[in-house]
Formats: sequence, structure tokens, C-alpha cells
Amino acid sequence: MPMNSIQKTLPFYFRLSDKPLFGCYHEPPANRRRQVGVLICQPVGHEYVNSHRALRQLANRFSEAGFPVLRFDYYGCGDSSGNTEDSSVAQWLKDISAAIAELRRRAGVFRVCLVGLRLGAALAVLAAAQRRDVESMVLWDPVVEGGKYFADLCLLEKEMLRFRAKRRRTEKVRDGVEILGFQWPRCLISEVESISLRTIAGGFAKNMLVMQSDLSRGGDCSQDQLDLCATHLERRSLEAPEIWRPTVDGSLLVPAQVLQAVVSWSSEIHS
Amino acid sequence: MTEEAVLFGPRQSLAGIVTEPAIRGDLRTRTAVVLLNAGIVHRVGPGRIYVKMARALAAMGFVALRFDFSGIGDSAVRHDHLSFEKSAVAEAQEAIEFLKATRGIERVLFLGGCSGAFASLATACCDPRVTGAVLINFQTADDDHAVAPPDVSTRKAAHYYWSCALFNLTSWRKLLTGKTDYGQLTRVLWFEVRRRLAFKKNELREPTHLETSLGRVAARRVPLVFVCSGGDPRLQDLREAGGQVLKRLCASGEVVLDVIHGADHTFSSIDDQEHLLKTVCRRIESMQHLPTVRHGLATGAEAAASCQLLRPAPVVQVGTNARQGRDL
Repeated sequence: MPMNSIQKTLPFYFRLSDKPLFGCYHEPPANRRRQVGVLICQPVGHEYVNSHRALRQLANRFSEAGFPVLRFDYYGCGDSSGNTEDSSVAQWLKDISAAIAELRRRAGVFRVCLVGLRLGAALAVLAAAQRRDVESMVLWDPVVEGGKYFADLCLLEKEMLRFRAKRRRTEKVRDGVEILGFQWPRCLISEVESISLRTIAGGFAKNMLVMQSDLSRGGDCSQDQLDLCATHLERRSLEAPEIWRPTVDGSLLVPAQVLQAVVSWSSEIHS
Repeated sequence: MTEEAVLFGPRQSLAGIVTEPAIRGDLRTRTAVVLLNAGIVHRVGPGRIYVKMARALAAMGFVALRFDFSGIGDSAVRHDHLSFEKSAVAEAQEAIEFLKATRGIERVLFLGGCSGAFASLATACCDPRVTGAVLINFQTADDDHAVAPPDVSTRKAAHYYWSCALFNLTSWRKLLTGKTDYGQLTRVLWFEVRRRLAFKKNELREPTHLETSLGRVAARRVPLVFVCSGGDPRLQDLREAGGQVLKRLCASGEVVLDVIHGADHTFSSIDDQEHLLKTVCRRIESMQHLPTVRHGLATGAEAAASCQLLRPAPVVQVGTNARQGRDL
């Protein structure tokens, strides 16, 4: 599909032979193109839907700053093939590897920066630890302990249920747990609950930024453990909304200050 | 079934996914269903329901296109300052042209939730290539309200009080023991009183935009299906704005109103999503068997005049809401 000067975002499918994945490639302006590609690892479930707008704008900002960028959907998520019920963490880690290969091929770069939000950040860390060829990472409000993350999701569902009609008895019993319109199968839940970034052996990325967007909560103390993950780790906290959570009026939030901070840090590291 | 990512429109700036049956050539593959954004949620829809719908429709033999309006999802922002009411119709028509140019499709059904339902009806009003529309939780125009609606949280609270709390012992206990938000309760009661008075006064009113649009589409014999969540305040808005015209068209079977009891605005329960999916597939299946009434394409001026009949309210999506509605 031809790309022209107006539209520099190219949606496409890759890994066509096996479980095709949807990706969106953002081409940087030729005159300020950098030799580092950015792969955006999105969150999953309702958090994916709520943060799509912000991550698209983040990709635009990265691209304007000269980075070739690939956003993609994991198997069973967004526009990619498969159903949410068939998803697994192991599959999503394979998907990140396939997306890194696609970004390298499409952008003609070898150096890659992974940028992940929430569970996407945890998956990025797990993938980087397996591969050990990732140059830098940005972890935006990362899920550090999968057990706590899933417990919080269940609490949120319970809170939303208060305003919903009670279930009828005739309705189907499904495998796993339903969270805000997405079915989490039991095997996926156990995989997610077993995620702990504390146990990751360190030094697999040269530079890492941990971005905490909600000062009022005081951050996740477990993030101290991330010191081991990178040679140089920097933390930043900004008072910004938790964009992945549902809002009262259904609006989708874009925290400009967080996007700016992430792109500035990456531009500085890869100048 | 295959899925293809596409860019279309004069600037190649509208991003979408075409889902189509593996085997083409059937009569149905000459009919497409275009899914329009539900509010500002991108083309996967709330709870990924649009993906499920597109795949189910492709399994039935239809070509499905779900795309993002300008400035939503992966579609670029427009720079021509066109209002949503005009740009949405223009872009929906670009989708029809894209399907015709790339797949030879001339019969198009539209489907949309919330403001996407609004855009679907607006397009059906002014483009004779639209042969039917499924309008989910239709968002009425601001001008069609007898009383200006309050903020989203008061509306949600109003719906919750009338359909849930009124029949709940715990809620009554909270009311009597001072644990209720009396300020909000007063706002809700005041809104309801004003609305009921205004509704009675407006029985002899001028036709609303929705009534005029319904009349226009019905005259062309374009089948319309409204699908409403029982737990969404928009159901009441639809009944009020649709007035006698909606009642008459429903009675004659020219318009169908399906209510999914217990569902909220975004179908945030999987059971409700499945119910919605079945309803949509059944209604689209039945539209497929209706004869097509074709007219010449409206001129630009005619199309613009038709589109003026409907004016969108600001894009608002509500979260969860409660309980049962009543049939028309």
C-alpha cells in the first residue's frame, strides 16, 4: 500500500502465515530519521481500549522526533487475529519478538527501544530479558506484580457490577473471569498472576525510564526491584490521570506531559 | 475469513479493516456492512464487540468494513474544519465508494453505536445506496430533547434511581438513615419533573429532527432497526424524540425497536455482548431478503439539506448503568 506525504501511518498485518497480527507503522520524516526503532507494547483488555488514543499520539510524537515506530496488537487483542479467550502470556511474548523483527525489517534498523504501558510494560521486560538485544526501555506505570494487578482488575469489575443488573440463571458459565467485557481464561490468569518483575535477572537493557503517572498513590514500591534490570535506570513521576481506567463520561484521556517526557527522554538517550 | 488493513478516502487518511468471507461470489458478498465508531472508541468497539460483529457477519457471507472517522483511532485529523455532522456523512460515503471501487459492492448496510448510530441514520437520510441501518443506543440530537439533559453523572444517577434503587431495600435504608446524596437526588427529581411537564406541553410540538429523518427514510422503504440497552437513558430519549412517528413506524413494522434488558450503554457484560451480536446478525439477515429500492444519488445540495435534519449532540459515552427498560 503506498504511503504519501500526508498519511505517514501505515496499518497492515504481519506474520501472515501463522496467527496474523495487526500493526501500525509510523514513518519518521526523512530529514531527521534516527537509527533506533520504537516498539510500543500496549496493555490488554479494557486498558487497551482506554489507552489506544494516548498511545497513538505517543507514536506520532516519537515519529515526529525521528524514530520509526511500530504499534501492534497482541494475538486475541484489538485488530489481530484470535479471540481474547485464546490468549496467553507465552503467545504475547512471541508476538513481541515477531513485532521486533517486523520493525527491524520495515525500518531498516537494528537498535530497538521498547515502550510499554501497564501489562504491556511487564511483557516488554519479560521479552527483553529473554532476548537481551533491546537497547532501551520505557516502562509507563508498569505492572510489577501480576497477582496485585489481577486483584485490582477484579475489584474494578466488582465496583462496576454495583450498577449493573443481576445475572440471570440461564446465562452461560464460562472458563475464567470476566473483566469489563473481556473474558480472562483461567490459564491466562495464572500466567499473569505469576508475573513478578522482582525475579528478573538484571542488566538486559542499557537505559530504562520508569514513568509513574500518579503521584497521589505514591507509586508501586515494588518498582525498586527494577533497579537490577538496566545499567542506567531513571524514574520520573508526573501528576497525570490513569488513562487506562474507565472514566465517568467515557472520555479517553491523553496526558500530554507524560508523552512529552517519554519522547524527550528517549530523544536524549538516542541523540 | 480474511482480514485486511486498508486506507481510503481522498487523502488515504481513513484507516479501517475489511473482513470478508474466504469464498467470494455469493450474492451476500455483494452486500457490505459498514460499522461506524461508537463515540470516540476506535474501530474495535467497546469490549472488542465490533471485531466480533465483523467476523460473525463475514461468516454469514457479508463483507464488513469497520473504520475510524477522522481524528479517531488510526485515522488522521481533518484540517478543513468541517463539523462532525458533515464529515461523518462524507466519510461514510467515502467508505461506500471505496467498497464499490475495490469490491464492486453497491448494497451497503450501516451499523453504529451511539454517535455512530447517529451518523448511520444521517447517511441513510441522504444516500440512496444505503439499504438498511442498525442503530445501537442511538444518540438523539440536543435539539430533540424536551428539556436540556443534565450532566452524565446526574443522568446515570437518574436512571439508577428509577430502575434499580427504587426497588432496592438497601437504597431505601440509606435514604432514611441520611446516607444518600440528597443533592444529587434533588437534581434528579427536578430534572424528571421538568422533563415530564415539558413532554406533556410538547405533544403538539413541531416534528423533531429524528421524526423528520424517520419519515424520510421510511418513505424510501429503507429498513431501520434500533437496538437499545434497557439500562441506557438514551432509550427514553429515543422514545421522546421519535414520538408518534416512531410509534407508528414500529407498529407497522417499518422500523424495529429491540431492547436488550439489563444491558448498559457499552454492553460491558459478555452475555449482553452475545445477545447484541445475535440480535444484530438476525436483523441483518432479515434485511438481506428485502427488495432494494434504488433512486438516483442525491445532489450535493440535496444531501446537505438532508443531513441538516440531524444534528449530533457532543460525543459522550457513559460507563455502566442499571437494570430493565420497558418496551415501546
